[in-house]
Amino acid sequence: MMRITMGVLISLLLAGAAAAQAGKSQTVNGLQITVTGVQRMEKASLRDCPPGTNTVNAVERPGDQLSVVTVAFRATPDAKNTPMKRPVATAADGTAYNTSVQFVDVASKPEYSCEFVYRVPRDTVLKTFQIETAKFDLPAIK
Amino acid sequence: MEVDRRAFIASIGGAAVVATMEHEAKAEALEHYMEDKLDEMVAEQAGQPEKFPTVAEIEAQIETRPYRRGTGGVFTGQRGQNVKRIEPMPDKPTIQDFFRLRFAPANHVLQSATRAMKTGMSEEIILACLLHDCVLSLIKPDHGWWGAQLFEPYIPEKSAFAIRYHQTLRFYPDAEAGYEYPDQYYRIFGHDYQPPEYIANTYKMLKNHKWYMEPRLVTVNDLYAFDPNAKVSIEPFTDIIGRHFKQPKEGLGYDNSPSAHMWRTLARPDNPL
Repeated sequence: MMRITMGVLISLLLAGAAAAQAGKSQTVNGLQITVTGVQRMEKASLRDCPPGTNTVNAVERPGDQLSVVTVAFRATPDAKNTPMKRPVATAADGTAYNTSVQFVDVASKPEYSCEFVYRVPRDTVLKTFQIETAKFDLPAIK
Repeated sequence: MEVDRRAFIASIGGAAVVATMEHEAKAEALEHYMEDKLDEMVAEQAGQPEKFPTVAEIEAQIETRPYRRGTGGVFTGQRGQNVKRIEPMPDKPTIQDFFRLRFAPANHVLQSATRAMKTGMSEEIILACLLHDCVLSLIKPDHGWWGAQLFEPYIPEKSAFAIRYHQTLRFYPDAEAGYEYPDQYYRIFGHDYQPPEYIANTYKMLKNHKWYMEPRLVTVNDLYAFDPNAKVSIEPFTDIIGRHFKQPKEGLGYDNSPSAHMWRTLARPDNPL
């Protein structure tokens, strides 16, 4: 019994680790989510997710930088327009960063891509990105 | 370089202003206009970041305009154009009448309230988002305080608090709450702008206030409500207005409330006194 339980536990841990790899999709609230990139930008558009055409931008300031995580979404038939928490990005030192980008009507489009903007201290490298229960390892910043 | 004649005339204050200008002044204005456009084109082509003005550069523009930037929307036309005749208000105007006849198109506040509603915020916050910038039709400087005063007799205390102090919190980012300092503020105040002392002191007070999040949530929704293509209307807010806006039976402006005169001014902006 003990051996079976340990086996299940190890399988779950391995599955979680595999799912956390960048480029792999995970599904949350009926949304298939794939992290497609991370980049540094001097100016980043502040648009909700799915994005509209909001005209306001965030701008880099001395001492900090804008790290932008790009994520592709595909709404499955189970997707609903329920409120979702803003995604959190975590740096190598464990510091968590919030984005101002909010989810609004996530099931209103079948497929879309969103850019989540994080203002972090200069030269910070983001390691992980989490939307609700889906956690992703981030590729190195471009 | 091709010159958009209308845009050029509008940029210097409209046809009426052009008519009063000497030939030399017109030529000079055209030269400045073309230089600015060229700078924009070069910057775009080179992929350079936008160069934001300084406070001094913004101040230098004051005497280039036939109006002051703080003038309420009902008192000015489209930049450089004559104002238009406006439809009279009904005898007993409601908040919806003001939305239709004086605050229209009100796209920004409707977008802001729509976002607040879709992201599950409280009705007091949704109402505050719906009303937070309406007073810009009347006056712009210190619009948080003016706006709160305008609506205070009719709305919940928390909504009035949110309207009054959202103006202050717009100058202070709050990553945890999801509020970024917007590039539009670098553009309209100058990239080296420092809020005056009374704003800084108000911010200090708010940081320790139990209702800090009320105005903060207005700023969060404010940031994302500048979408020229968004389709919004006041209909989804009918119930919230019905539950939280104490519509006076005499009509807004005629109920002897402390802000009744402000509603009357909005109703009749062409009155000379």
